Amino acid sequence: MTTTATPRASASSNTPPTLRSARTTRQRIRRALPLYAAISPFYLLFAVFGLFPILFSIVLSFMDWDGMGEISFVGLAQYQYLLADTRFWNAVGNTFIIWFLSTVPMLFLAMVIAFLLHQNIRFTKFYRVAFFLPNVTSMVAMAIVFGSVFSDTFGLVNSALTALGLDTVPWLSSPWGIKFTIAMMVIWRFTGYNAIIYLAGLQAVPTDLYDSAKVDGASLPQVFFRITIPMMRPIILFTVITSTIGGLSLFTEPQVLLGDSGGAGEAGMTIVLYQYNQAFTQFDFGYGSAIAWALFLIAAVFAVINWRLVSGRGDSVQPRPSRTTTKEARR
Amino acid sequence: MTTRTARGGHWQPPPGRLSRRTAMLGAGILPFALASCGSDPSISADPDELVMWYWNRSASPELLAQAAEQIPGTDRHVRADVVGTNFDTKLRTSLAGDAYIPDITYINSNNALYFTNEDLFLDLGELGADSVQDDFYEWKWNLGMTPKGRFCFFPLDIGPTGFFYRQDIFDQAGLPSSPEEVGAATTTWEDWIALGVELRGAADSAMVNDAQTVFEGFLNASPERYFDTDDTPLYLQPDSAVRQAWDTTVSAIQADVTARIPRDRGTDQNAAWSSGRTSGNISAAWWAQILQESAPDTAGAWRLADQPVRPGNNGGSFAALPHTCKDPDAALSFLTWINNPQNQALAYEDVQLFPSTPASFDALSYSGEFFGEQDPLEFFSTAAESVPTSFISTWETLIGGSFTFEIGNVETAGKDPEQAWEDALAQAQKVLTKRGVLS
Repeated sequence: MTTTATPRASASSNTPPTLRSARTTRQRIRRALPLYAAISPFYLLFAVFGLFPILFSIVLSFMDWDGMGEISFVGLAQYQYLLADTRFWNAVGNTFIIWFLSTVPMLFLAMVIAFLLHQNIRFTKFYRVAFFLPNVTSMVAMAIVFGSVFSDTFGLVNSALTALGLDTVPWLSSPWGIKFTIAMMVIWRFTGYNAIIYLAGLQAVPTDLYDSAKVDGASLPQVFFRITIPMMRPIILFTVITSTIGGLSLFTEPQVLLGDSGGAGEAGMTIVLYQYNQAFTQFDFGYGSAIAWALFLIAAVFAVINWRLVSGRGDSVQPRPSRTTTKEARR
Repeated sequence: MTTRTARGGHWQPPPGRLSRRTAMLGAGILPFALASCGSDPSISADPDELVMWYWNRSASPELLAQAAEQIPGTDRHVRADVVGTNFDTKLRTSLAGDAYIPDITYINSNNALYFTNEDLFLDLGELGADSVQDDFYEWKWNLGMTPKGRFCFFPLDIGPTGFFYRQDIFDQAGLPSSPEEVGAATTTWEDWIALGVELRGAADSAMVNDAQTVFEGFLNASPERYFDTDDTPLYLQPDSAVRQAWDTTVSAIQADVTARIPRDRGTDQNAAWSSGRTSGNISAAWWAQILQESAPDTAGAWRLADQPVRPGNNGGSFAALPHTCKDPDAALSFLTWINNPQNQALAYEDVQLFPSTPASFDALSYSGEFFGEQDPLEFFSTAAESVPTSFISTWETLIGGSFTFEIGNVETAGKDPEQAWEDALAQAQKVLTKRGVLS
């Protein structure tokens, strides 16, 4: 050991400072090597199963490939086809409608549920579990249940409507019925999840804010809209962004409910379902990749808009009198 | 200086540690190293072991157990791996990657999807498969032939079709109700629709659940389909089989003999059959099993009648040998053995695969009572005799969906039939132009 160390030491004493720093960098890397090795499995697996497919899908979107034969370069043809493809734009429209139909009521409901769970009521833990349960339920089982509940001719909902003397609604065969049913599935599945996140946020709001509001004689809705909502802004931003990503990549719900073709009139065809349909049932991997990147662009644009909307509104809230008074009260 | 040396010495890892680090690195890299070294495209390194891919209930477990010991007449044996969902994607992936390719693979009735890459499969005709050709239904054998005339897809089971109907409802409605009477009353599609109108009037019941059933029932019994072997789009010609099927289906929709419940709503379809809202279906032999499981309360009420014009075929699988097959002769021996008439009869009893060899039926008898006195084996084996020879093109699998989608729009959304036809043609044209089939 000394034999290896000594020449190195003498060499370093004679070398100019730049080389010496290079030496220390190298040494630092050597020291860090075991650490890098320890975390490498994730990065290696990500490189193989995450990064490579992502990069390869960029390449594929400029190619024509049926998944087993030769790959041929077609330039921008896939994207040109995409721009003129009415089925793709129909899917984009469907995705946004379903996203809007599900996200808005879902986040509102989640907030209300979280607010109620945060009050001093009994069995809070039971409710928390109960509301979260849909999120871990098997999607396929769920689709069967929803398919039966919303069935046009034999469904529970339509039976109830008939019993009330109302007209039945073709839930699974009309364009709006299909979108509504899918939105219901999303709401059912994710309301509890978002409620738990909101609840965690609520618990982080200092209680003296509420106490002083009580002292000032604020009503429950006032407390909710003037204290809870502003304090929860970052949490709301988080749920809006996750719901947007989830909504834009909606796939499982329509696929298990309606199959690979998106139901009657393709009314339940979402962007990702269309991508899956093109790549894995039509074996047009080039086009499937192009759809994936189109979705990426749409999602990126939407993320920016979302960010602007939610954080922009937050800035205008800041100088509100109610907020300053509570701040003062806190002091 | 000394401190640095000491520190350097400190970080010089002792031998034990070094080996552990190497081991750790090695463990991380090993799988990738293995994958990249896999120049042998076969799954099993054992030269005597032929790996076969199939899916549940597509082969008799009993026969596979025998082949796992030894393929009769050879010194090889078969290792059968059940490949679950996304069978086609997995098979394509292995072929595209030229790695982990099975020596024998089953392929579903969508074998036409593989025609464009037929070079990846061996010509079984060259290997001598023709010696057993006479054992099989001719039309089924021909479905295994590629457009270039190579025989790449060995016949497994078949799906001859007929008209399933509820005899009790037909009786109540005062319609002809015995299989012979119903068959005789519906020799043409016009007669079949006319009978449906009577059924609708007398029992408020539909003949079939969706328009797609009529459309496919018609085409599956037609010698002409969407394309010929030279990729000529026959459906564009006036009075093509596709157009006739379309017109027939449109008149069935307009006569209100379909229940307007498309097949993506399986729960509703089953409920319609159990409740009698729909009294029939045009489907294949394999559907009998599904019906028995989904509508057990209707046992004894169902019968089978000849469908209009002639029987068709719907479904039925194939087997193929990828070009990397270790021992093509032994693999073919396996295919001819597991599909010989006796073994197909055994597979029918085991997993209800409907035999593609007429001689199998000599050894089979039916004892159930789901169809009353009627013997579905006799019915479908007779039907299989008159299934026409037809050609299913790769491109059909890409555009067929446009036509069934649009006929569904006519049925459930009340779309104008001519507009729907034009839209189906336009969509087909777009897809085929994109794929370079049409210019």
